[in-house]
Amino acid sequence: MSDAQEGTAATDSGSGLDRLLDAIAALCRFITGVSLVVLTVIFGWLVFGRYVLNATPTWVEQAALLLVMVIAFLGAAVGVHEHTHLSVSLLRGLVPAWLRTVFVVATDLLLAGFGLLMLIYGGQLTLFKWGSLIPLIGLPEGLRSLPLTVGGGLIVLFSLAHLWRVVQGRDLRRDTIE
Amino acid sequence: AAAQDWRGWNIHVEGYPNTVAMDRFAELVEEKTDGEITLQMFHGGTLGSQPDAIEQVRLGGLAVGNFNLGPIGPIVPEANVVSLPFIFKNVEHMFRVLNGEGGQMIADGMEAKGLIPLAWYDAGARSFYNGDGPIASPEDVEGMKVRVMNNDLYSGMIAEMGGNPSPMAFAEVYQALQTGVVDGAENNWPSYESTGHYEVAPFFSVSEHLIIPECLCINADAFNGLSEEHQAAVREAAVESAELQRELWAEREAASRETVEGAGVTVNEIADKAPFQEAMQPVYETYLAENPDLRPLVELIQSTD
Amino acid sequence: MGLLVLLGLFGLCVLIGTPVAFALGISAIAAFWYEGLPLMIGFQRIISGINVFSLMAIPFFIFAGELMFHGGIAIRLVRFAQAAVGAVRGGLGIVNVFSSMLFGGISGSAVADISALGSILVPVMKEKGYDADYAVNVTVTSSIAGIIIPPSHNMIIYAIAVGGGVSISKLFLAGVVPGVLMCLCLAAAAYLVAVKRGYRAERFPGWTAMALSFVGALPGLLTAVIIVGGVLSGVFTVTESGAFGAIYAFLVTLLVYRAITWENFRLAVRQSVRTTSMVMILIACAAAFAYMLTFYQVPARMVGLLTGLTENPIMILLMINVILLILGMIMDMAALILICTPIFLPVAASVGVDPYQFGMILLVNLGLGLCTPPVGSCLFVGCAVGRLPMEKAVRTIWPFYFAILVALLLITFVPAISLTLPRLLGL
Ligand code: NA
Ligand code: NA
Repeated sequence: MSDAQEGTAATDSGSGLDRLLDAIAALCRFITGVSLVVLTVIFGWLVFGRYVLNATPTWVEQAALLLVMVIAFLGAAVGVHEHTHLSVSLLRGLVPAWLRTVFVVATDLLLAGFGLLMLIYGGQLTLFKWGSLIPLIGLPEGLRSLPLTVGGGLIVLFSLAHLWRVVQGRDLRRDTIE
Repeated sequence: AAAQDWRGWNIHVEGYPNTVAMDRFAELVEEKTDGEITLQMFHGGTLGSQPDAIEQVRLGGLAVGNFNLGPIGPIVPEANVVSLPFIFKNVEHMFRVLNGEGGQMIADGMEAKGLIPLAWYDAGARSFYNGDGPIASPEDVEGMKVRVMNNDLYSGMIAEMGGNPSPMAFAEVYQALQTGVVDGAENNWPSYESTGHYEVAPFFSVSEHLIIPECLCINADAFNGLSEEHQAAVREAAVESAELQRELWAEREAASRETVEGAGVTVNEIADKAPFQEAMQPVYETYLAENPDLRPLVELIQSTD
Repeated sequence: MGLLVLLGLFGLCVLIGTPVAFALGISAIAAFWYEGLPLMIGFQRIISGINVFSLMAIPFFIFAGELMFHGGIAIRLVRFAQAAVGAVRGGLGIVNVFSSMLFGGISGSAVADISALGSILVPVMKEKGYDADYAVNVTVTSSIAGIIIPPSHNMIIYAIAVGGGVSISKLFLAGVVPGVLMCLCLAAAAYLVAVKRGYRAERFPGWTAMALSFVGALPGLLTAVIIVGGVLSGVFTVTESGAFGAIYAFLVTLLVYRAITWENFRLAVRQSVRTTSMVMILIACAAAFAYMLTFYQVPARMVGLLTGLTENPIMILLMINVILLILGMIMDMAALILICTPIFLPVAASVGVDPYQFGMILLVNLGLGLCTPPVGSCLFVGCAVGRLPMEKAVRTIWPFYFAILVALLLITFVPAISLTLPRLLGL
């Protein structure tokens, strides 16, 4: 948990696009961070309400599940930008450099494709469920799949931008946290 | 027509009345369509939670499912009416309603959302249980923390009795009852027994406040795409499976009751349910004010003998 | 064929270095597409994988751990632990195992256990010069204690899967001795590996130094007291206790140690979110993957493949263990309990295994599966909090797997381990 991997902005030279992406990632980090703090506080309120006031705030459970979606999917997109996801780098370390580049490019394309599907089908799911309400908080059920949809769009962006940097020969990192 | 391979969802485990009945349904469908439709059942909720499975049937990933009308309520307003506390006088009354015009209104509402109910299953009546002593009147619920399922009607029901409705994930309830995070919960006899809740909440008060039916549902497109003979065959199979389910359910309810009584549970019959029903008036008023369209259905059910 | 698409594509993605979470998601969605299932359902499965209330323990305990680390609680715990057990080789490894045993007594979930203890102990162990892989391995494997040592909601799921007639209190009691046995085996492994790696023992610093470090660590140690006390007295559930751990850690660092700065707090939040999202996306995508495995009826097919080969009771039991282990490696727990119990319990009963003992065999097997690649939520959390690539953790985890296997064989072939305690207490 050292700070060595802290703040790995994915860029080595600050082009305008890279700065924009860093700003988007920073915004996501802010939103997910606030979500975590809010999540913790409302749970404190849940227990306080049930145990001390004997009036359980019934909305907390459902609200918490929504906040976790935000943390998971926006956080996962930031993880793509910062290369922090768990992966197995064994084979990449063994193969010649050109093949490694092929692997990196293939991974970027796979991630972009998967992100695109998240965006499309997550969006459809959101619309499909928008009409029914989540019990006890009365918000649209579609909100549950919105973070996946947005996260998918961001993953497309981040992985294509990485691919672009690779093509320009600026960035070959797609490694695990170490 | 080309052969079809269907998949079905059911939350209950092997040996449970609904599981046996759904397996029977699968057999009957295959038999009555001369093997042109086959149905592979997935029991134990292994293909997802109930709300997810409802969505999967609506989207056509699964062909059929055995659903409780409780979780269908948020999607189909008409189906939510059966979640009003004490709306049915008893299980027989519920079936009379479902086999009449009321059932048709609910079925129409469901079909509009891509689900067709083929037959109605019995899920008994839900009653309160807790660890401190019998519940004889609404006043006994006052100040009590009661675990409820996720539905504004259920939490409203507890709140109107002066209790503290506490929604909680089903898997956490046993421990919560044991440590006192909640004081009580509510369910039917078989679930009270199979979840072991009777070990930690040994007072069962037969309030029968919720009588929520279950349905054997099919994806609307899958059903409407069938030939008339096959539609009839599938419906017949569903009705036969429902007859079997109700029979097995009655046996299972009796057996579960016997088991928990043998384990020392105190069963408290509530002679006069009127005070509970009166306490529910505000729940009905709020509900009807928010859903004026559903007033005819509610009145229809209440006026059915 | 569809199964081949699923497994083959997953293997290929992992090999070229695609993050494991996305490898799971990509191969699962490809299989959905191959089978003509609506892709919306694939993404529904991904969402539902984390739309699970008990998983809330992950962000909370990770946040609590980060706050303790950045707020100076962890370092004081290190000093105290070092004073108390530094004289034993691998002392912190052994402490780690027994903390899991005790925490297992309040949480029913291995994931809660590893999120809680891993977030605190892994950084502490690394700080004291233990290798990251050792710290992660010990924490990951001992977290299974939470499933076996009562209470355990997985045992409740098992009781439901049996279909009635099983007392949950008796099942809980049956888990005590197997859980302790497993922890003893793991503690032995932790000690032996520590000796083999030459972790140095330090001189005992004397009682005064120890008392001083104890006082310093007291507010941190109270976290455990608050969590355990709060759960046992019914103030909150285990899941909710995680939030209290985080709130308490924040207050201690703010008011007692005055170590938390805005910068530290921001860092703690940021790291927590990063770790949480890494783990959650893995669990989410694994759920879509598991859906397809269920769809292809992999568990039932495996049983068909392997049973019927022998009539020998010992071989049958070994076979059941092997099948459960393999299934546990690729699928997650609750679904497997529900799928496997009706298939295996009659087989086990036919060779004289009691349902209570079988429950223990099942849970230890599936628990071990939580610690193995490719799909293992405990391994995911462990690697995430230890900042360790999965292959590095797995390369040196064998002695700990071996310890659990020893315990598993004893539990399988010595019914008394599971059944004596309930019998003594008259259940
Ligand atoms: Na436990
Ligand atoms: Na695993």
